[in-house]
Amino acid sequence: MKYNVGIDIGGTFTDLICVSSEGKTIVHKTLSTPEDSSIGFINGIREVAEMAGQSFELFVSSIDTIVHGTTVATNALLTLKGAKTALVTTKGFRDALEMRRGIREEQYNNHYRNVAPLAPRYLRFTVDERIDAEGKVLKRFDEKDLAPIIKKIRDEQVESVAVCFMNSYKNSAHEKQALRFLRKNLKGIFVTASFEVLPSIRFYERVSTTAVSAFVGPIVAKYLDNLTNKLKSIKFKGTLLIMQSNGGVVVPDQVKKNPAVTVLSGPAAAPTAGAYYSQLLGYRNCITVDMGGTSFDAAIVIENQCVTSTEGNINRYRIALPSLDIVTIGAGGGSIGWINQGGLLQMGPQSAGALPGPVCYGRGGKIPTCTDADLILGYLNADFFAGGKLKLDKKEAEKSIKDELASKLGLSPMETAAGMYRIINSNMAQGVREISVERGYDPREFLFIVAGGAGSIHSSEICKELGIPMFLVPNVSSIFCAAGMLLGDLKHDYIRSYFTSFKNLDQKKFIAHYNEMKDEGNKALVIEEGVSPDRIALYPILDMRYVGQYHEVQLEATWEDVVNFRMEKIFDLFHKEHNRQFGYSLKEEGTELELINVRLRIVGTTERPEFQATNIKPVTAKSAIKEHREVYIPELNVMKLVPVYDGDKPIFGAKIDGPCMIEKITTSVFVSGNYNCLVDGMGSFIVYDKKTFPKGFQLKKKK
Amino acid sequence: MKIDKILVSIFQRAFKSITDEMSISLTKTTRSPILCEAKDFVTGLYDASGQMLEQTENLPILSFSLGPVCKVIIAQYGNDIHEGDVIIHNDVFSMGNQNNDVAIFKPIFYKNTLVGWAAAKGHQADIGGAVQGGYNPNATEVWQEALRIPAVKLYEKGNFRKDVWNLIFANIRLQMVQEDIKAQIGACTLGERRLKAFVEKYGQETFDSHKQALFDSTEKMMRSEISNIPNGVYEGKSMVYYDGKHKGSKFQIHAIITVKKEDIIFDFSKSSPQTKGFVNGIYTSTCSAITLTFLQMVNPNIPHNEGMIKPLKYIVPEGTILNASYPAATTFGNHLCPQVADSIFKALGPAVPERITAGWNHLLCSLFTGLHPRTGKKYVDICFLGLKGGSGAMKGDDGYDHIGMIDASGGVLDQDYEMYEQQTPHLILQHEYLCDSGGAGQWRGGLGTVTQILLRGGDTTMVVFGDGDVEPNYGLFGGKGSVLNKIELKYPKNYQGGKKLIPMSKDMVHGIPDGTKYYQVAGGGGGYGNPKKRDKLVVATDLKNEVISKEAAKNIYGLKMK
Repeated sequence: MKYNVGIDIGGTFTDLICVSSEGKTIVHKTLSTPEDSSIGFINGIREVAEMAGQSFELFVSSIDTIVHGTTVATNALLTLKGAKTALVTTKGFRDALEMRRGIREEQYNNHYRNVAPLAPRYLRFTVDERIDAEGKVLKRFDEKDLAPIIKKIRDEQVESVAVCFMNSYKNSAHEKQALRFLRKNLKGIFVTASFEVLPSIRFYERVSTTAVSAFVGPIVAKYLDNLTNKLKSIKFKGTLLIMQSNGGVVVPDQVKKNPAVTVLSGPAAAPTAGAYYSQLLGYRNCITVDMGGTSFDAAIVIENQCVTSTEGNINRYRIALPSLDIVTIGAGGGSIGWINQGGLLQMGPQSAGALPGPVCYGRGGKIPTCTDADLILGYLNADFFAGGKLKLDKKEAEKSIKDELASKLGLSPMETAAGMYRIINSNMAQGVREISVERGYDPREFLFIVAGGAGSIHSSEICKELGIPMFLVPNVSSIFCAAGMLLGDLKHDYIRSYFTSFKNLDQKKFIAHYNEMKDEGNKALVIEEGVSPDRIALYPILDMRYVGQYHEVQLEATWEDVVNFRMEKIFDLFHKEHNRQFGYSLKEEGTELELINVRLRIVGTTERPEFQATNIKPVTAKSAIKEHREVYIPELNVMKLVPVYDGDKPIFGAKIDGPCMIEKITTSVFVSGNYNCLVDGMGSFIVYDKKTFPKGFQLKKKK
Repeated sequence: MKIDKILVSIFQRAFKSITDEMSISLTKTTRSPILCEAKDFVTGLYDASGQMLEQTENLPILSFSLGPVCKVIIAQYGNDIHEGDVIIHNDVFSMGNQNNDVAIFKPIFYKNTLVGWAAAKGHQADIGGAVQGGYNPNATEVWQEALRIPAVKLYEKGNFRKDVWNLIFANIRLQMVQEDIKAQIGACTLGERRLKAFVEKYGQETFDSHKQALFDSTEKMMRSEISNIPNGVYEGKSMVYYDGKHKGSKFQIHAIITVKKEDIIFDFSKSSPQTKGFVNGIYTSTCSAITLTFLQMVNPNIPHNEGMIKPLKYIVPEGTILNASYPAATTFGNHLCPQVADSIFKALGPAVPERITAGWNHLLCSLFTGLHPRTGKKYVDICFLGLKGGSGAMKGDDGYDHIGMIDASGGVLDQDYEMYEQQTPHLILQHEYLCDSGGAGQWRGGLGTVTQILLRGGDTTMVVFGDGDVEPNYGLFGGKGSVLNKIELKYPKNYQGGKKLIPMSKDMVHGIPDGTKYYQVAGGGGGYGNPKKRDKLVVATDLKNEVISKEAAKNIYGLKMK
């Protein structure tokens, strides 16, 4: 027997999923070990081996692939505990990184400070070199200018160096020279340059992304080395793959070249899993949401493809690499309830986090949170939280809601808890609206997939507010990202800037750019990652716009269109896409088009594990009722006695009527009176609007 | 009707999400960099009587005039407002704030009853008048500045009025403006759809009562903020230099602020009479300046609706520099905001010293037009990256570096350098923080910048407008002021003997030759508190980062050095 293992390390828990070559799935959560997360990693494997009934040694030797999502880079950026970083840049441009184009995100808040630059000013060095907008050298770069800089870098014990010169997207010769010289003379120090990280126009985007890469680089490299060594010591002979922000996976050596690709390594797996699960139900589009302790992530899948964006920021640091488009808002189980000066109830974005956590956890939390409200409203079972591992204190939760909020609002604790529930649902619905409506998509046409233990308590109401007819709580909902990691393909993104009007576009140069990127991608996939050439697919993208516009559209084309220079077809696609995104095109007016960048995504498909499904039978759900409990019914605004089903019972194919609760060890689902639920062959819950159940939809029988 | 307090919170969130959505749509569809890069626009929702439900204010100075215009439109049309109408407006003598800031209004109906308005206002790249772009330092009357558009329907009951459209755009230079107005109509349509669906969901009665409850709750928040200011009458003054006509002319802005329990009155009656040139404010732009300054002194999380502005009273008599009489030229009016802000901070300083900032850098700005030799096309570019100085420090916090004028407060972004070098023929030589530009203090003023650009292409025209080149901005409580703004051209040797030219703060220079060096200093913000009391570790860090000089560290901050 062979195994594939997905491992997602979060702040509190390390999630694991193991799928055997026979399709058997083991899902497991173990405590994270933040001081050295590789310990939790190995612990998790050990515990999964036990669950599989195998010796650790035999189990490890049977693992084909481990796919790993890591928050090492994310946390380094969030807590500013990256490497001591220096920047070498063009004379006259020392401060672009820190200025961030002069933005203050909170305009009326004079206490709001700029973020600390990833390379402080005294470690930002300039050299007298200059290349102009056409790539012409105006001032030749001289290696000698680097000598005093190298000395300072040594004296200051800098750990990482970023190089970014003006217009290097047009001509990278100076950067290449500088990089070579610095690497030669700064042995043991991480050095990277912008042409390696993001060779495209827009200086601020490039310098910021390169600085991020340098800032997280040494930590990510150290982490990966440590992990690879640990895996070697337990005699792991399979392949270790790392999840990237773009939803694809790569080998650790590729990550070390550009560590910034892992800043969204964890959450990127949710839409990847979403694409897979929605296909199982015959959907091509889905929205995935993941509700954790402090945040709520929403992402979107169109035509089975995760949507990427180059507009990302983390902790106000700009990262312009293609990353999955994920909207994160401050709404989670730990979001706290408070009353503003106007006497109105608010939820979050502040969170009680994992410590002290919600009041009901009994770990010293005093401020009522979303989880406390969920408990009061009957959605959580005080004695069956995490399968009974953590007893919840309902009395304390109620007391804090009463003292902190209800007494000030003149409402009962139950009414207040109901208000907290409605407000946080409305906040999360806003997050979903942002990822869909504001990107030009109608959420009602999407399957809504809910991940995270608490998300499915709130999804009935989020869907109702947005008019979404159906949501899915996957069988692996609680470790959804870990599952997504097993479903990712090997992906590499390349970019070349080629700024020109299409009228003046040089066919040879255009095609040469694409072939060059293809060769680079093939080298990474075939030679370094061992992918067989027949499993490789090419996805060219053109960044283009109408002449006179500032914001470009990233247009997807086919490899054939690009190498055969089928421009009419590409123009046509562009007008259509512009019309879809912004409601109009200028095809009729004959407005000229211009090109900014050419991009290539190259994908090597991995072997996907088969999740086992049981054949569904016409069973009734009655046998799974374990009790009746009072829960809050939002559409009636009352507490009502409803059946509670044991979601871990194998009632595949059963139909469950709302309102009800479905409880698993790892997940609670609230089905409001507007919805009914079907249990599919994998034990996922398909919850659908009673009135608008999609016609013609039925559960698939196993082939 | 019983008020559901929770629903009131949800109303607030929903209104905000609608105006945000309108704003995102405008950013992505507009052409003029003033809109899509600098975000010089606002989107808003108003109720049937023109009361503000919510706004998304990318550039606050033009924001608080939408409500007053909405009320003008309602009064003008009375019963002649129909579903499918689209109304355009820019007229500063009927509550507009600046000629270039053109508003679109769309009424929203539910079951044949007017329930609200969606509106979007943006600074257009051109609005007719004598000078492209609208900034005409020679203007003395509104017609030399712009085409006046009092409220007029572009669509009536959904029917496009091509005649009106043609009349307006026959008087505006750039085709782009038509595209950008279409984008504004699009944003209003988005707002209309969403507010309509919202009223449909909750019903008219709930909508009305809960909207009112939201106003009441917000008003309560604002009143509680005002009540934290000790009662009294406070005075503050600031100066405006040069009206574009008379060398050495100067004018006073004079704020008298009365705080009485939960009410606050801003009285500017004692300010100088209006000027002969275009350095004149207009009622709504002055009220916006007052509002946005006061908002920086209160809880930043107060929702932006009618309840927020209700406790604020404005007295700005006609005929003063802050509210010029018809038919004065007023395009510069928005840029009197820094002086209005100064006078308010100075007035309230003694009452609430912990809430005010020292002086912000005043705007001094240049706009270039010319022919781009590589594309053969005309370009227009406001040099945003060069104009942004620092903000004033306040108790507990240094000023914000390179934030730019207080009317935008960090909402206007620099051009990207590489995009700039593609879209203009010019070469940026330097754009960096200026050492010692932040006013010294226990809390240091935000840093200003130094910009050097090699102007290429030849026959470049430069329009200059702004201030801050005469009087340095001020520090507070022992803090120091900052350096002056400066713009300077250094011609190449073969032109006028390579001489230097320092333009006036309102000026126009034609025929600038290829190879001229443009030099600009945007000053920093003022400091707060005695610099000797500044944390020595922070002083040492500033010195290490070379944002203060050795001399300053030693002599001004008292850092002992080896």
